[in-house]
Amino acid sequence: MSESVRDGLRKRIEKVRTLPSSPAVLKPLLELLRLEPEQINLKKVVELVSYDKTIAAQCLRIANSPLYGRSRETESIQAAIVTLGIQRVEDILLTCCLHKFSAGTKWATDPEVYWRHSLGCATVCRELAERIDFRDPEKAYLAGLLHDLGILVNSLAYPEEYHKVVAEAQEGGVPLAEQEMKDLGFTHAESGSILGTMWQLPTVIIDVIADHHDVERAPEDNPLVALVHIGDLLCRCRGLGYGYEEWRSVELASDPAWERLMKYGPRLASMDLARFTMDLDAFLPKVQHLVDAVFSSKVEHPAVEILR
Amino acid sequence: MAGEVLNATLSGTPAGTAAKEREEAIDPVYLRIRNLVYQTCGIYHSDEKLYLLVAACKRRLASGGVKAASAKEYLDALTSIAYKETETRALLNEITIGETCLFRSMPQVNALKNVLLPEIATERAKIGLKKLKLWSAGCSTGEEPYTMAMFLMEQQDTLLKGWTFDIQATDLNDRSVETAKAGVYGDYALRNTPDNYKRKYFGVADGGKLKVKDEVKAKITFQRLNLNDDSRMVFMKGMDLIFCCNVLIYFDMTSKKRVVQHFFSNLMPNGCFFLGHAESLYQVNDQFRLVHLPGTTAYRKPGPDAGRAVKP
Repeated sequence: MSESVRDGLRKRIEKVRTLPSSPAVLKPLLELLRLEPEQINLKKVVELVSYDKTIAAQCLRIANSPLYGRSRETESIQAAIVTLGIQRVEDILLTCCLHKFSAGTKWATDPEVYWRHSLGCATVCRELAERIDFRDPEKAYLAGLLHDLGILVNSLAYPEEYHKVVAEAQEGGVPLAEQEMKDLGFTHAESGSILGTMWQLPTVIIDVIADHHDVERAPEDNPLVALVHIGDLLCRCRGLGYGYEEWRSVELASDPAWERLMKYGPRLASMDLARFTMDLDAFLPKVQHLVDAVFSSKVEHPAVEILR
Repeated sequence: MAGEVLNATLSGTPAGTAAKEREEAIDPVYLRIRNLVYQTCGIYHSDEKLYLLVAACKRRLASGGVKAASAKEYLDALTSIAYKETETRALLNEITIGETCLFRSMPQVNALKNVLLPEIATERAKIGLKKLKLWSAGCSTGEEPYTMAMFLMEQQDTLLKGWTFDIQATDLNDRSVETAKAGVYGDYALRNTPDNYKRKYFGVADGGKLKVKDEVKAKITFQRLNLNDDSRMVFMKGMDLIFCCNVLIYFDMTSKKRVVQHFFSNLMPNGCFFLGHAESLYQVNDQFRLVHLPGTTAYRKPGPDAGRAVKP
């Protein structure tokens, strides 16, 4: 992308009123994420969550979703944090923050499809990270969740044009990035990285947003890009994509990302990829449940009363 | 953790139909029958799947087609010089009997239509060869090869204009091959078949059944073939696509490796090998590359340009 196109894009993104800044609690949360686990103050997390009752209610709904393996109903934020573990709560909070931030805005794409893909990818990335002994599985979820931030940007900053992009991509069964390049002259990777920078997201996450479609361009010491690239492809081949079937074949083991990831996930070489792929089918209903939980605002959770 | 929940969900229980039989103590003679069947046919039933073999033997015993009243006598029949050949084949017929239907795997058909055939067509256009060769290995009663034949004929108006194709359909089971050749199917087998296919490629048969038209049959060569018969396997060359669904599951690792190696050799470079949706070649073969297609997977024989970086 040329500097002038990038400049124009940046200006356009800055002008969108629905994208003024990140949600208030996102920044302190990300700061918490960067601390060593033993330094994280539980009370502080509970405070942050309780700060916004909409977020608190969603947090509880998500904590009770089957994807998080809750067998018993979690009724308080405190209990959710203790039982799920602090990292998992941060995942949930970030999920909520992102949704809150995009709620009530006009979408060029179906927001549910966007969330199904983002949450699906986040979940698949974390699962994959665990199976291959990836050294930083906790970051995997966040990276997967945010990798397509640019779709949100394009959807909001170019509502009319983007509607056409998505329709054409669906018609031809081609990847979104390909259609974006053709119609807009840039992809969601580029617009997403601009917003990520505006939000002051961690550099490793901005790398993921910017390069998840072109892993070879990413810094070699950031394996998250390769991990998300693989997780993203798996999702898109297995019904957790952009809401349509992409008509292509993907050989993951021949992908440059595979080789890169092997250095950081020692068990990747011996992993049963066919079985992992079949496992993904069991993810679908769970991710859908999570999406429903994020979207459901009709039923307020009883715990919200306690928080007030 | 999500992982634990996932694993708990995945460890499904086996189908309940044969559960009762599985709980009954199994006559140790069946272990000897298992070894015999393994040695002669290369089809192995693990302890987990032994009940399937027991059920097949019991069906043979009940059929009256063999002079045996117990497992021990049945083993004798299987090993006697006079009966062993016919009875072994009869038992294999019982073991490999499988219920299936036309258009059983729509993701597979759609992947062919939207991804693999366009890929092949682009490649072949370069050398001007408009020919496609398929093999349905373990075709049972013909549902799979007929599905492929009708589907490919349907593409001859568009994607495969001017193409010819050759479908080899083989099965170990004589009776299945005969049924396949007849091409007569009832409602159950046709439950997934789109109406336009029914109208176009079927005629009416007795008892409200439908019969595959001769023009479809003409695209397929049916024959009996034992996948363990190395001398015949080497002649199945030049395949673009091989289908072998829920057949290898009965094979032990050694035979499976050997058979899959044959499939690999018989495929053209970049050719694809399809298994049943729950099967995997994990630890069976590491030359094939797992390829993800929309909603399904296949195994691809790497072409001469393998290793070339493809930007998805």
